[in-house]
Amino acid sequence: MNPPFGIPPELFTILLALGLLAGFVGLNGLVLVYLERKVAGHIQRRPGPFEVGPHGILQPLADALKLVGKQLITPRGADKWLFWTAPIISFAPVFVLFLPIPFGPVLTAMEMDLGLLLILAFAGINVLALCLAGWSSENKWSLLGAARAVAQSVAYEIPLLLAVLAIAFQFGSLNLSTIVSGQGAWPWQWNIMVQPVAFFIYFVCALAETNRAPFDLPEAESELTAGFHTEYSGMGFGIFFLAEYANMIVVCAVATALFLGGWNGPAAPGVWWFLVKVYLLLLVMMWFRWTYPRVRFDQLLNLSWKWLLPLALINLLVTLVLVKI
Amino acid sequence: MSLSWLHMSIIIFFISGALFAAAPFIASMLLATRAKSPALYSPYECGMDPYGSAWTKFGINYYFYALLFLAFDVDVLFLFPVATAYADGAGLVPFVKLFIFIVILLASVIFFWKKGVFTWPKRIRF
Repeated sequence: MNPPFGIPPELFTILLALGLLAGFVGLNGLVLVYLERKVAGHIQRRPGPFEVGPHGILQPLADALKLVGKQLITPRGADKWLFWTAPIISFAPVFVLFLPIPFGPVLTAMEMDLGLLLILAFAGINVLALCLAGWSSENKWSLLGAARAVAQSVAYEIPLLLAVLAIAFQFGSLNLSTIVSGQGAWPWQWNIMVQPVAFFIYFVCALAETNRAPFDLPEAESELTAGFHTEYSGMGFGIFFLAEYANMIVVCAVATALFLGGWNGPAAPGVWWFLVKVYLLLLVMMWFRWTYPRVRFDQLLNLSWKWLLPLALINLLVTLVLVKI
Repeated sequence: MSLSWLHMSIIIFFISGALFAAAPFIASMLLATRAKSPALYSPYECGMDPYGSAWTKFGINYYFYALLFLAFDVDVLFLFPVATAYADGAGLVPFVKLFIFIVILLASVIFFWKKGVFTWPKRIRF
């Protein structure tokens, strides 16, 4: 493809990838809102949204328009600057997270050797946003939610890193494309067969890192109203939501690339296999939400520090032995 | 060090992420209604007038967890460069070195567990 107007080809690729990603993230937000409400509805034996469009398919669009039309309210005592930068900081790293993810054999925004590390590093920025949002609102619920958010992400980061490291040691690479090409087409050639424990740890940690039920304590509505985003209405809330859904896609995409063979599939490997696997994982996440009750906060922290962390370390040790044999 | 396309792409993507998030706010500012009322701007506290400020002292139970995290995060970060070179190392020496490193990490978890850091309510003995 020859870029027009004499733009350097590298820049053209970057801009093209950026445009596609922006479309994907926006569309994905709409799809996931619809999917989440439909899944919730059907699990509880009700149809979910049904009025706007056929089977309520236009509901997320109507929601988005409603959010844009709402007044931006800064609470009286809030720190104005921090209050409005927090949602922006929470969304800012999202595109970078998609940068090294191999969607298909050639469909990667940027091949890089440290892709995995880049994702893990930029994923940490979200915590800062939650912390700022909770603190700057000057609301007690928000502050408690923020304290929980920080403690939780901090606790689950370590087992997550260790689970990912097991794969990195096995392949001797942090490049996601290399890891994907190292796996075969059939499910028994995927890493989940070699590293089931790592996948289990990764998935539990991913749920906790994205604040999904049963670990949605930072925004536990029955105890903290809405946690860190209590004071956000309209678009402030909307952007936090969009960032959360984008982060869910990222953790599922990384899980797919690391453990489920990425774009490899029995027939015609390509981006469709990748998307099918990612959305299946997302459905599992939604299914979890309506299956398990929310854990208590000390249970949450201790599950990570007492069980997942030692388990991840032992798993890493076993991997080290297996790589050397 | 000059900027490569890799750096450029990260910078461009980060800035456009921020712009992507800022755009709906601008749309909201233009489109949204503008109501004014003192009650509209009061912080939410279940319908009452807020009692005191939220910016006060409160017991952070999570302090020790944060300290633990700092220690572990730095340690685990050391493992990332090792991961790329481990398989190339000859003989059992790399394994033995990593074994010592990881067993010490594991021992520290057990140490904190015995100290009662993970017990709620907090009863830490020193």
